[in-house]
Amino acid sequence: MMPQPSPPIVEFHDVTVAYGGRPVLWNVDLAIEQACLFGVIGPNGAGKSTLLKAALGLVPVVGGYVRFFGTSLSRVRGRVGYVPQRETVDWDFPVNVMDVVLMGTYGRLGWLARPGRRERALALECLDRVGLADVATRQIGRLSGGQQQRVFLARALAQQADVYLFDEPLAGVDARSQERIFGVLAALRDAGRLVIVVHHDLRMAVAWFDRVALLDMRLVAAGPTQEVLTPEHLRRAYAGRVELLDELGRAVAERGRTA
Amino acid sequence: MNEAAGWMLPDAGHLAFHAWSMATAAAFSAACALVGSFLVVRRMSLLGDAIAHAVLPGIAIGALAGGQLGGPLVIGGAVAAALLTAWSTRLLRTAAGLAEDAGAGVVFTTMFAAGVVIVTLAAARVDLDPECVLFGSLELVAFDLMSIGRLMMPRATVSAVAMLALVAVAIGATWRWQVFTAFDTPAACVVGVPVAAVTALLLTATAVATVGGFEAVGAVLVVSMLVVPAAAAELLVHRMHRVVAVAIALAVVAACLGWLAAWACNTNAAGMIAVVLGGMYGLAALVAPVDGVLPRAAAGINLAWRVAREDWLAQIWRAQEELGGGRAVPRPMPRSLLERAAVWWLWLVGQVEDRGGLVRLSVAGRREAETVVRSHRLWEAWLGRHADLPLDHLHPPAEWVEHHLGAAVRQRIEAEMAGGPDPHGREIPPESG
Repeated sequence: MMPQPSPPIVEFHDVTVAYGGRPVLWNVDLAIEQACLFGVIGPNGAGKSTLLKAALGLVPVVGGYVRFFGTSLSRVRGRVGYVPQRETVDWDFPVNVMDVVLMGTYGRLGWLARPGRRERALALECLDRVGLADVATRQIGRLSGGQQQRVFLARALAQQADVYLFDEPLAGVDARSQERIFGVLAALRDAGRLVIVVHHDLRMAVAWFDRVALLDMRLVAAGPTQEVLTPEHLRRAYAGRVELLDELGRAVAERGRTA
Repeated sequence: MNEAAGWMLPDAGHLAFHAWSMATAAAFSAACALVGSFLVVRRMSLLGDAIAHAVLPGIAIGALAGGQLGGPLVIGGAVAAALLTAWSTRLLRTAAGLAEDAGAGVVFTTMFAAGVVIVTLAAARVDLDPECVLFGSLELVAFDLMSIGRLMMPRATVSAVAMLALVAVAIGATWRWQVFTAFDTPAACVVGVPVAAVTALLLTATAVATVGGFEAVGAVLVVSMLVVPAAAAELLVHRMHRVVAVAIALAVVAACLGWLAAWACNTNAAGMIAVVLGGMYGLAALVAPVDGVLPRAAAGINLAWRVAREDWLAQIWRAQEELGGGRAVPRPMPRSLLERAAVWWLWLVGQVEDRGGLVRLSVAGRREAETVVRSHRLWEAWLGRHADLPLDHLHPPAEWVEHHLGAAVRQRIEAEMAGGPDPHGREIPPESG
C-alpha cells in the first residue's frame, strides 16, 4: 500500500456494530478527508447515532476499526468534540448554564485543576457565539429546548476541537435556534473544522450539508450532497430497506441467546 | 441506662456522653449525605440502598478475619461487597435481562441475608450483634473508648470521622469529574474522563461512608441518610455544590435533633434520627421555593383571586358600555364564593360603587377594567386575523388570555392591527396610563 501524505480526518474501516448481540450497522467503509459540513442521513433505525457512538468508542465495535487523524481516538481526544442527543441527559440536574459550558474545558484541565479566569472567559465567549451570554447563571432546566441545545453547542465550542460530532442537534428545536445553531456549525466549517451532523430531515440536508453519508443499516452512498441524494439512492435507503439485514440481525441475536 | 442519666445533671461526663454520640451520628450522616447527593442526582439511590445493605457480609467477613470490628480488613470487605453488588446487578441486567431495580433487589437482599447468617454464626467469636446491625447502638458509643495520643475518644467517633475524611477527600479530589460524569456520561467519556473509574470511586466511597457508622447507627439510618438529605436539598437549591452543602447541613441537624429527641422520648436514636429526617424532607417539599406545595398553591390561589376580580370589573364595564353614558347598571349575581369575595373586596377598595343594587365603576376600577377588556378584544382581533377561526371560537381563548397579556404584547398587537374595532365590531379601549 502506498504511504498516504496525510491520513483522513475520520476513517471507518469495515465497521460493524451490534447491540446485545444484534448487529445494527454492517460493514461501513467511510473516509472523510477534509473539513466540511458532513451530514449523516437515513431513516429511523438506520444506525445514524450508532455510527457516531461507534466512532467515539461509546458502543463496542464488533468488526473493523475507526481512526481519527490516522490513529486511535485515545491519542487525539482533545481534538474530538461530541454533542449527544439532548434527551440523553437529565435537564433537572443541579447545574447552571456556565457550569455546563465549562465542562467542555475539563478534558484539557485534567482532574485537579480548576477552571480559571481564562476558561471562564472562553466559556462566556462560546455562550456569546450561540446567543446565550445573558442566561449564563440560569439553571439549565429553565431553558427552552432550543436554548438547551445551544448550551450543548457552546460546551462543544469550549472544547476547541478539530472534529465535531453532533447527534441530532436540530431535533425539537425552534426555528430561531435552528438558524443560530446552523450558523455556528457553518462558521466552524469555515474555520477549517470537520463538522459531522446526524440529521433526519432530507429537505434541510440538501440545503445545508456539503457532503453526506446515506445510511440504512449499511452505507448506501457517501460523497457530495447532490451526487448522493439521488432518487435511486434514496429509494434504496428509504423504500427498499434490505429486510434481509434486519432479519439476519435478529437471527444472530437469537442464536447468541440460545447457544 | 437512659433512666439513670436523665436530664437533671449536666455534669461533664453527661455532656461528653451527648457530645460524643451526636458527633458520631453527625460525622457519619455528613459522609452519607455527601455521597448520597451524587447517588440521588445520578438516579442511583436504589443502588445506594442496595450497597448500604450489601456491605454487611463484607463487614462480617472482614471482622472475622481481623478479629476486631474496624480496621482496614473491615473497610476492604465492605468495599468489595459494594463493588460486587454493583457489578452483579449489572450482570443480572445484561446477561439475564432482569430490570435494574429487580436486579438490585435480588442482589442486596441475598447479600444482606447472607450477612445476617454470618453475623449470627460468628456472634460468639466477634462482638457483632445482629440487633445493632439493623437499629444501631448509638447510646453505647460513649462507653467504648480508645486513646488517640493523650485524648480518650469513643472508637465509633474516631471511625466515623476517619471515614468522613476519606470520603470527602475522594469526592473532593474528583469533584469536577464526578459532576461531569453524573450529568452527561457519554460526553465526559469522549473528552477523556475515565467514567468507569469515577463511578467505581463513587460506589467505593458509598461503601466507606456506610462502614463508618454501621455498628453505631444501623442499616435503617444508613439507607435514610444516603437518600433523604440529598433529595430534600435538590428541592431547595439548584447547583451541585449547594446541593451537597445543604444535604450535609440537613443531615447534621437531623442527627443532633434526632439524638436529643430520642433521649427525651427514651427510644432508639437511629430510628428517631431517620424520622426527623423524613419530617425535614416533608417540610422541604412544602416550602421549597417555586416547586414547593405551598408556593404552588399560593400562586394558584393568587391567580384565581385576580381572575375573579378582573372578570367582575370587566363584566360591569361591558354592561355600562352597553347602557352608555357611564350610567350605573343593575348588580350582576356573583356565581361563586370567590366571586362574592371579589365583589365585596372591590367595593371595599372603592373600585366599584354600589347604590341600592345599582353598580358602577370608579375611576380606578374603570382603568383596571379597560386594561382587561382591551386585552380581551386585542386577542380576539389577533386570533381573528391569524387563526382563521369562526367568530364564536374567538371569545373562549380571549377569556383567559385577557388575564395574562402584558402591556408589551398588547402594544405589538395594536401596532399590527392599526386601530379599528375587534372582530365583533366593538371598539377596543385605549391603553390607560
